[in-house]
Formats: sequence, structure tokens, C-alpha cells
Amino acid sequence: MADFVQLIINGLAIGSVYALAAIGFVIVYSATGVVNFAAGQFVMFGTFAGVATLVNAQLPWPFAYGAALLIMALFGALFFVSVYLPLRRGSIVTIIIGTVAVSITMQNAALLSFGSWPFRLPSPVEDSAVSLGGAIISLHALAVVAVTAVMVAGLWLLFNRTSVGVGMRAVAQDVQAARLMGLKVNRLLAFSWILAAVLAGVAGLMLGPMWFADVNMGDPIALKAFAATIIGGFGSLPGAIVGGLFVGLSEVLGASYVSSAYKDLISFGIMIAFLLVRPQGVFGEKIQDRG
Amino acid sequence: MNALEARGIHKRYGGLAALADVDLTVKNGQFVAVIGPNGAGKSTLLNVLTGLAMPDEGQVLLAGQAITRMATNKRIRAGLGRTFQHGRVFARLSVLENVMTGAAIRGRLSESDLRDFSMEIIEQMGLADVAHEAIMSLSYGRRRMVELSRALACRPHVLLLDEPAAGLNSGEVDQLIDRLAELRAVHGLAVVLIEHNMGMVMRLAERIFVLNFGCKIAEGTPAEIQADPAVLSAYLGEGYAHAVV
Amino acid sequence: MAMRIPLQIATAIIVLGGISGMVLPEYHLRLLNLSLISAVAVIGLNFAFGYAGLISLGHAAFVGMGGYGLAILTTTCGWSPWLAAPVAIAATAISAGLIGYPLLRLRGHYLALATLGLNVSFYIVTSNWIAMTGGTNGIARIPGLTLGSFSFSGEHQFLWLALMVLALIAAAAAALHKSRLGREMIAVRDDEIASEMTGIDTTRIKIAAFVLSAICAAVAGCLFALHMRFVAPEDFTYAHSITYLAMLIVGGEGTIVGAVLGAVLLTFLPEWLRFLGTAYLFFFGLLVLGILVFLPTGLVGLGQRLSRRSAKTPLLASARAPEATS
Repeated sequence: MADFVQLIINGLAIGSVYALAAIGFVIVYSATGVVNFAAGQFVMFGTFAGVATLVNAQLPWPFAYGAALLIMALFGALFFVSVYLPLRRGSIVTIIIGTVAVSITMQNAALLSFGSWPFRLPSPVEDSAVSLGGAIISLHALAVVAVTAVMVAGLWLLFNRTSVGVGMRAVAQDVQAARLMGLKVNRLLAFSWILAAVLAGVAGLMLGPMWFADVNMGDPIALKAFAATIIGGFGSLPGAIVGGLFVGLSEVLGASYVSSAYKDLISFGIMIAFLLVRPQGVFGEKIQDRG
Repeated sequence: MNALEARGIHKRYGGLAALADVDLTVKNGQFVAVIGPNGAGKSTLLNVLTGLAMPDEGQVLLAGQAITRMATNKRIRAGLGRTFQHGRVFARLSVLENVMTGAAIRGRLSESDLRDFSMEIIEQMGLADVAHEAIMSLSYGRRRMVELSRALACRPHVLLLDEPAAGLNSGEVDQLIDRLAELRAVHGLAVVLIEHNMGMVMRLAERIFVLNFGCKIAEGTPAEIQADPAVLSAYLGEGYAHAVV
Repeated sequence: MAMRIPLQIATAIIVLGGISGMVLPEYHLRLLNLSLISAVAVIGLNFAFGYAGLISLGHAAFVGMGGYGLAILTTTCGWSPWLAAPVAIAATAISAGLIGYPLLRLRGHYLALATLGLNVSFYIVTSNWIAMTGGTNGIARIPGLTLGSFSFSGEHQFLWLALMVLALIAAAAAALHKSRLGREMIAVRDDEIASEMTGIDTTRIKIAAFVLSAICAAVAGCLFALHMRFVAPEDFTYAHSITYLAMLIVGGEGTIVGAVLGAVLLTFLPEWLRFLGTAYLFFFGLLVLGILVFLPTGLVGLGQRLSRRSAKTPLLASARAPEATS
């Protein structure tokens, strides 16, 4: 029983990271229609931004995290200008290949800057654990879940109570109409990318201590984020959260109870099952089959 | 047995009734027109007839056979044909190749037979000079002619035309009217014409169905329709005063 | 007329390839062989994507099925490669048909992600089903292809095998382009609704395109296994699938010449960039991005614009379908 509780918390922690990555992915998709295959590398960049500020520059915690997130925000803006704007008139496939090409570039940029040896990214609640009914729960895992919950609440406030957030929702629904209403569409699109980058940054900073900081970590994360959005519902924020948590839980529980080797197969198997049976996922809108 | 029949068609999109209890009957070889103001449900009706939309209630019958839930490509093979409001052609194929995709519907014909049959139709439609051109190099009006040729190559028993005159200049419209008049003489080909061009409608149609807000408000010969008060108020109310020919 | 263009393509491939074979040093010859294997796979992908518009990010899985099929039949069952190859290819084709039937109801990025998931699943299975596939150690000691006393194992010998196979496949592809099936595949991508309205069973056509692409992929997989004499899960990952798609796009989608050009270019490009040391992949990514932004119709499109020839032959015909809706 104690083990089970431990697994659940770990699953929720990993799931929260996937959820944040998935949320960033969904925000960009809803606003711009782009399926960002570099989503996983964004998280990796977040982790390495942490390595740069915490490990290399040795900044104190709040400054390090703040600086890392600032770096991510700037990167999001750079991405908007140098990748999104040139590619956006292309076909779906052009955008897919384009974001994949950027993914390769990002991965190798990290490789050039940090080398191929994994780093240890510390956490402010390192080595602390809490006892819960006989189970030893790492405080970091709990913190991850808590931080994610806070971010989700913040996002809710953003999208429902601020004009920027409402503007982003308008752009997501109908770009032309938003333009006609006088909204500064390009600025809002840029902000979507920046927000997605910052969310990925938070995910990366929280993930680092749980795994290692490794330049190759991006791709597995991206795959899990995609599975999460498919299961939860493409384009749906609650779906991204539910999907992310589900993928995290199935990965951790699957590894323990079914098979460690095939744990990822479970998430992808479920993703494919959803695609075949219910492509709109749990929360998504019914997909018009006929074009 | 009628060539095409729609009985009691209901179609709702959310809270909006796009079609409410619509009936349509087309006899063999008959030339029928469906008219009505924009938003009346004409395109929805075509979509239901051709299988791009499923009705919530009602039946569609082709030569007596129920096809209400049948896949679109099967309906075409069963003898239905359709052109689209803005003309849908295959951009990467030549004019001839476009028509050949339609001709291929009739079983195992050899490539040369397909080509010959398609060229015949192309010549009849006055497109022989551009048969091997890339279709996107043609003018809009000629492209729509290719689309019509392709639909004819499928040898339909009932041909549905969705605003074939839209976007054509007056010379092209006259050509279209001539072609359609020729088609009227083709043995066994029934036509359902959706059009706003009243001159064309009154000249070609034997029977007219009028839709407004998803309901059929009138049905009859051109003369009857022109005198029908319900039709006049539907059109006059939308500024269609010139509709009376 | 009907056979003229396929023969032109086949001849060009053999002549150009043969000349390169005599001129290039051993290491580059190896790359050329690898690029020819990729070209076979990418011509297959051209059916699925270039003609029928199916965004497949799982093409490498079919290459892998062909490669592993041949590897297992020749090593565990002791079959001759001449027998193992057709069986592996047929098995892959059947799998593609079975998978395609439910999968091809999806469109656009849903299909892309589903095929991606399939490729990842393939990787997981080949890495872990040790009894069948040897796990991450792969399958080694695959016999080379021999014809009597002649062996196709050396780089020069294999080059001729690869050229022959590529020429055959390219010629078949060109013949298909002008056939009824080819027209219908192109029609389905250009306008799926209009295709339905012309009596084309779009589901059947998409499955056919998918199966054809899988057959080409399996052929490439068999060639790979016979050349490397070794297959491992790392050889058939989703990264390879994406590379195949990139090769097609960079070369010029919808064209056979584009498929071959893209395969050769993207196989040699990382090598040409090696002088950049560890930074070469970084610049490779940027370069591909640059090509996508500045040359959306690929190399073939650039060639057309430069020579101002109108695109009428299947060699070069690549007018992009208008991307009005999804």
C-alpha cells in the first residue's frame, strides 16, 4: 500500500511535467495551428537554462529560476520571429519538418554548449522527504504537483480574467475576426509562443532533479506530450492536464506492475487506441471527418 | 419509379434547422431546378442527396433504391453525379486526366478506351484545344466546364449542378445554357439545377422547387412559380425583385 | 509513349550511378549505396505522401519490417535471401493493409501522430522482444546476396544491385503515375471530396497508396539488411521516418526525381558538413529549415524555375495541390 501511494505521487509528479509540456503545446496549437515537434526540446532547454543559472553561474535559487525563465521567454520570442513567422504560410508537412529541423538544431546547440555528459540539476527541496502512511514521499515530487496546480490556476486567471488571455482565446477561435476587432494578432501570437516557452521552462526546471539533465531528453518528452494531448483532447487545456497526468501515471504504474521495458508501449498503445476510436480525446470537440 | 427522390428530409446543425421536412421528386429525364434565397438550405440539400451530410430524418432514393446512408462514391457509381458551387478540379492533373478519372468509373476499360471516351466528351464541351494543358492554366469558366465534363464522364442518370453559372461572365453563361439545353435532349439524363440566375432557370427547367429557411415553400412549373405569392414575398423580401422574368 | 518515360528514368539512374561508382572513393561509395537504399524508401513515401497526401511519420517502421523479416528468415530459419526477401516484403505489405484500414480514416496531424506512435511502438517491440529480434543487440551475420558464385557484398558489387533495384522501382513508379491508380491517388490528395464525387473509393485508394509505400519500404529494408549484414532497432526509428519525409520535401514532393535527389542530398549533406566537427548537425538542422523556408517546392521546383520549363512529365510534374483546407 505504501508503495502504491509512492508510485501514485511519483506518477502525478511526472504527469505534471508532461501536463505542463502538453499545455504549452496546446496553447501554441490553438493559437497558431502549428503542431510543434520541437516541444520536447523546449523542455530540455528549460532544464539546461537551469543548469546554466544554477550549476554554472551558481546564482541563488530565486534569481537562478527567474533568470532561467527569462531566458526561456526570450527564446520563445526568438522562435516566433525566426521559425514561426517564416514557416507559417507553408503546408502542414512543411511546418512539421520545419519544427523537426529546429528540434535537431536545438538539441545540437545544447550539445555544443554543454557537452554530452548528463548534469545533475539540484532542487531547492533536495533530499527532503515526507512520511505519508508509511510511504516515503519526496518533497520535490509534492512540490512539482503543487507548482503545476498553481500554474494551472494562474493560466485559468490569465485566460478568463485578463484582456491578454481573452485576446489569445479570440485568436485561437478565429484569427480573421480577431484582426477585424482590432486585436493586435501578431503580438498575441508572439505571446502564445513566449508563454509556451516559459511553461516548458518550468517543466524543465522541475523535471531536471527527477531525471538527469541530458541533451537527449527532449524527444521522449515530446512523445509523451503528444500522447497526452491526443488522449486528453487536441486543443483542450483541461485535456492536456488530464492527458499528462494519465500518461505519467500509466508510465510509473505500468513500469512497476506490468513491465519496465514495455511501459512506454502502454501510453502509446492507448494513444493509438484513442486515435482510432475517439480521436477527439476525452475533452476535445467532435472532429469533422468530412473536410 | 422516379430517378431521384427525397422524402421528409430533416437536417439540424446545433439549434438551426437547415432543412425541415423537405421533399423532392425528379422523374427520369426531367430537368428540375431548386431555387431560394441564400441560406435557404439548397447546398445542404445537395450534400444530403450526395452523402456529404447525413439527414437526421428522411430518406433518399435513387431509382427506387434507398441510398440515405450510402457512401458518396457508391452513389456516384449507382448513377448520381454532382458539380460544386466553386468548381472542384484536380489541380495536378491535366484537363484530359481530370475527365479520365470520371470515365474510369465504368469498369475495366483500357487506358486507350478511357482516353478516347474522355476526348469525345472534351470535344463536345468545346475543350479539345486545351485537352493536354494543366488544368490550373485555364480560366475559371473553362475549369468549371472541365468539372462538368468530368461529371458527365461518370455517365450519371441524375446530375446535380450547384450554381454552375456562379462566377461566369455573360458569354460563358450563354455557352453554359446551350450545353445544358443539349443535355436536356440526352436520353435518360435527369438534371437538378441549383441556380440564382433566373433567366437560366426559367428557360431550362420543367419543374421548380422553391426553398426558404429550410422549408419547401412552393413547387410547380415556371409559370406557376413566377405567379406564386409565397415565392414573390420570399424573394422581394431579400431584394430579388428582378427575379420575375 | 507509355514506356518512354519509365525507360528514361531507369537508364538515367543506371548511367549516372554507374559513373559515380567508378569515380568515387570507397567511403563515398558506401554513402552512395546508403543513399540509394534511402531513395527506394523515399520513392515509396512519395506514393503515400506525394501522391495521396498521407502524412506518414512511420515509414521507417515498414523499412524495419522488411529488414527484420529478411534477417529473421535468413538467420533463424536459414532461408536463402532470394526466398526471404519476397516473403518479408509480402508480410510487410499485408501488415500495412491491416494497419491502414483503421488508421487511414485519420487526417493531417492526427495521422502524423498516429504513424509516429506506430514507429515508436515498433522501436519498443524490436528493442524488447529479445527472443525474436535480439533486442538492442539486433540481428547479426545476415548472409549477403549471392548469384551463383558472384557475391553482392562489396561496395562496388552492391552498387549495381542497388542501382538495378532503384531503376526498376523508379520505372514502376513512373508507369504508375500515368496509370488509373496513379491518377486516382493524385486526385485524392488534390481534392478528396471531389474524388468521392467522381466515384473514387478514397479509403481504398489511400490503403493502396499506403501498401505500395510499404512495399517500397520493405524492399529498401531488405537491401539494407543485405548490405549492412546487421539490423538493430536504432536503424528504424521515427527519426529515420522524419528524415525520409525531409528527403522527399527537400527533393521536391510528388516527383520521382525529387525523391532520389533528396535522398542523395540529405545522405551526403551531414558528411559534407563534417568539417564543422561536432557542430555539423546543428548546421544541418538550420540548413534544412532554410530550404523549407526559401525553397518550398524543393530542389525540383528550383530546377523548374531556373529552366522555366512547364511541368508536364512525371519526372518533374510537381504542381503543389492548393492547400485551401486541411
